[in-house]
Amino acid sequence: MEQAVLVIAGVLALGSALGVVLMPDAVYSALMLLLNLISLATLFLMLHAQFMFAAQLIIYAGAILVLFLFVVTLLNPAGEHIFRDRKRLQQAGAISLGLFMACLLGGALLVAFTSGKQPTLSPEKVTNPGSTYGTVEDFGKALFTQFLLPFELTALVLLVALIGAVVLGKRR
Amino acid sequence: MSDVTFTVLISALIFSIGASGVLLRRNPLVQFMSIELMLNAVNLAFISFAGSQGNAEGQVFVLVVLTVAAAEAVIGLGIIVAMFRKRKRIDVDDIRSMNG
Repeated sequence: MEQAVLVIAGVLALGSALGVVLMPDAVYSALMLLLNLISLATLFLMLHAQFMFAAQLIIYAGAILVLFLFVVTLLNPAGEHIFRDRKRLQQAGAISLGLFMACLLGGALLVAFTSGKQPTLSPEKVTNPGSTYGTVEDFGKALFTQFLLPFELTALVLLVALIGAVVLGKRR
Repeated sequence: MSDVTFTVLISALIFSIGASGVLLRRNPLVQFMSIELMLNAVNLAFISFAGSQGNAEGQVFVLVVLTVAAAEAVIGLGIIVAMFRKRKRIDVDDIRSMNG
């Protein structure tokens, strides 16, 4: 059962990622991105990262994607049929680079994983029924003790983004 | 194939799809979506390896990536809207200079 959900979510994630790149209309690309984010959230859940599953849905699917859809519908850009326009060299380069990167990364990972012991979810720390891995408790403890400085720095990043958005949105 | 192996492979493939999407598309909005794909692929790899190690450090890093992605989306979309106000057409090939 778990294996089936994992495989279905993985295949959906790959298919919708291809959809984002290949769909002619930007609105369809944004909706495909939504499907991709939801299937990735499902994968997070299958990897026992419950808090990250919720954060992915709320922050990405709830906030960032709505912003994207808002801007896409506001600007309403013309559709773009990538296999019909005439920039053949550029497209061939982009596709061959993508294939090359996929072969390189996938091949390296396959070699690394088949030569030694395959990594699995840690049986004593993660899949053990009594473990707190992935809960808000476990995550919050790490965030507010060991990683307090990075957490404070993210506040600075958000402040800079806020000021930048105000400056960009101001009419001259 | 174990679950962690499978998700890391998926993440590598999504990253490559996102990278070729940035190069393939001329619409900056779709290029931004491809960048989000790449960021998400890295998040999946972090969560997979955090699961195989059994500690929360990978997840904290994912939270930082989420914050950076949100900031990047806000700034990037702001720039695209400002660009659209000036020239009514959005294509990355039209942008040749940085002056306003």
